[in-house]
Amino acid sequence: MNLRGVLIEDTFAEAFTMRAARILITGATPRWVTAAALKLTGFATSVIGCKCEAGIERELGPTETPDGRPGVSVLFMTMSKDDMPKRLIERVGQTVLTCPTTACFDGLPDAPDRVGVGSALRYFGDGFQASKVIAGERFWRIPVMEGEFLVQEKFGVLKAVGGGNFLILARSAEAALAAAEAGVDAMAGMTGVFLPFPGGVVRSGSKVGSRRSKTMIASTNDAFCPTLRVVTKSDLPDGVNSVLEIVINGIDAPAIARAMRAGIDAACREGVVAISAGNYGGKLGPHHFHLRKIMAEGAPA
Amino acid sequence: MSDDLVLALRAPLRATVDFSGHALHAWTELGAAGVARLRVRVAGAGAVALGDLFDVRGGNGGRARFAGDLSRVEALGAGLERGEVVVEGNVGREVGARMRGGRIAVTGNAGWGAGLELAGGLLEIDGDAGPRAGGASLGAKRGMTGGELIVRGSTGPEAGACMRRGLVAVAGDVGEGAGRAMLAGTLVVFGTTGPTPGQWSKRGSILALGPVTPPATYRYACSYRPEYASLILRHLRDRRGLPVTHEHLTGSYRRYSGDLAELGAGEILAWTRD
Repeated sequence: MNLRGVLIEDTFAEAFTMRAARILITGATPRWVTAAALKLTGFATSVIGCKCEAGIERELGPTETPDGRPGVSVLFMTMSKDDMPKRLIERVGQTVLTCPTTACFDGLPDAPDRVGVGSALRYFGDGFQASKVIAGERFWRIPVMEGEFLVQEKFGVLKAVGGGNFLILARSAEAALAAAEAGVDAMAGMTGVFLPFPGGVVRSGSKVGSRRSKTMIASTNDAFCPTLRVVTKSDLPDGVNSVLEIVINGIDAPAIARAMRAGIDAACREGVVAISAGNYGGKLGPHHFHLRKIMAEGAPA
Repeated sequence: MSDDLVLALRAPLRATVDFSGHALHAWTELGAAGVARLRVRVAGAGAVALGDLFDVRGGNGGRARFAGDLSRVEALGAGLERGEVVVEGNVGREVGARMRGGRIAVTGNAGWGAGLELAGGLLEIDGDAGPRAGGASLGAKRGMTGGELIVRGSTGPEAGACMRRGLVAVAGDVGEGAGRAMLAGTLVVFGTTGPTPGQWSKRGSILALGPVTPPATYRYACSYRPEYASLILRHLRDRRGLPVTHEHLTGSYRRYSGDLAELGAGEILAWTRD
């Protein structure tokens, strides 16, 4: 398959089942909403080193938020349901509770699995906290120096998919970066997905394990490193001098497939030789996103 | 086509009729003939078949509809667990008392103790409600423990007295002693809040959107905009149709803490236009 002169390789992205929460942060102005969201989602690129993965899903207008203020929707993922409350409590507690004017709400009200967040953070109120049940949902009012921090007691958790991806194989670093930026822009604001890495792009794609250490769970993806073309078993076509990866996590597989199609389509531009994907032979992750099938049908793999 | 169970009053009631003990949520399963055979206690006359008082028609649609002036009917819908009851007109004392689920809608006025010790569900009164709406039985320490009472008119004294949980919203005025001895819960008043609101309250919130004078045992704490008030007011506007304005949502609230003669964890939030 060829898209505007760019080869779509006959391969697939291999993704894993994770658990996701959707956190709605509101604030007096977009400035403070963004400040809280960026801190909440900071250092949350990969569960390998960060214990969670998180990103801004999209901005929300006042008509879309529970309290009628500007907001953002953050998707937050962990490998297991048991990990979720600990990570949410520490992150919401340190980044949203602390941020002026913000409030924090559950964005998955229909999810049957619920984990306590406000129910734990309330103890910061040192006995002065109070709760209100509004339309069947309990909220905690935690007194702070500014006024009050309002946080929902429980947050919904769903099974989700992490690790959708595609690789941009380009003739130069400049071309790879421009294509990656175009891909990220095309996926920005799409419902149900987020890109956990800086600016949505990762340059240090990894393989499982290590050639030298038994304790490392991931190491550089040498098959796609241009500098190692002649010293390792390279998967790079001739003429490729730089590779960037875009990782996509989503609420479900169709959301990831939609985002991959938009991102790949935008990334197929001058200077790009091929689009590939990272997988582990299909033995590790249950979700396989076949590039050609996605681009041909726009359907989930 | 509506399949409501309809009970139309045959003639004006001359004595009080006690509906307590009748679980209205089970009525639609009985059918019209079965309901007509049920007996209620009429003051001075003893047990009387409902069919003698009401023309009973309709089927099993899950909704019971009463037509006529039921001002002398007591405890209608008491203990309701599910389903819907509509009263087209006025109703007497203790409508919806201790109900746990479902919805009761009254298009007219309600007497003493509407929603008394409400535990769940929704009780909506389009007209006025008498004393102790959403309150506790006389002598009881605990009133509402859940649910919502919406009054689109005004209420008499002691609305929301001894509330433990739940929401009472009054579009008009409330009489003296609103929220008296509240344990928790929320009372929202759009009109004038009568004298001594929240007296002896331990916790609980009174949102006063109209004129209010906190008791001497409350102290002013600060002026701010509590976000939870915005959630409650949006709920009342969007789902209950109450007259919440943009200024209510964006305005400032003077917070008075009290009752300091008690635990002092309660509050009166007085909306200010500025």
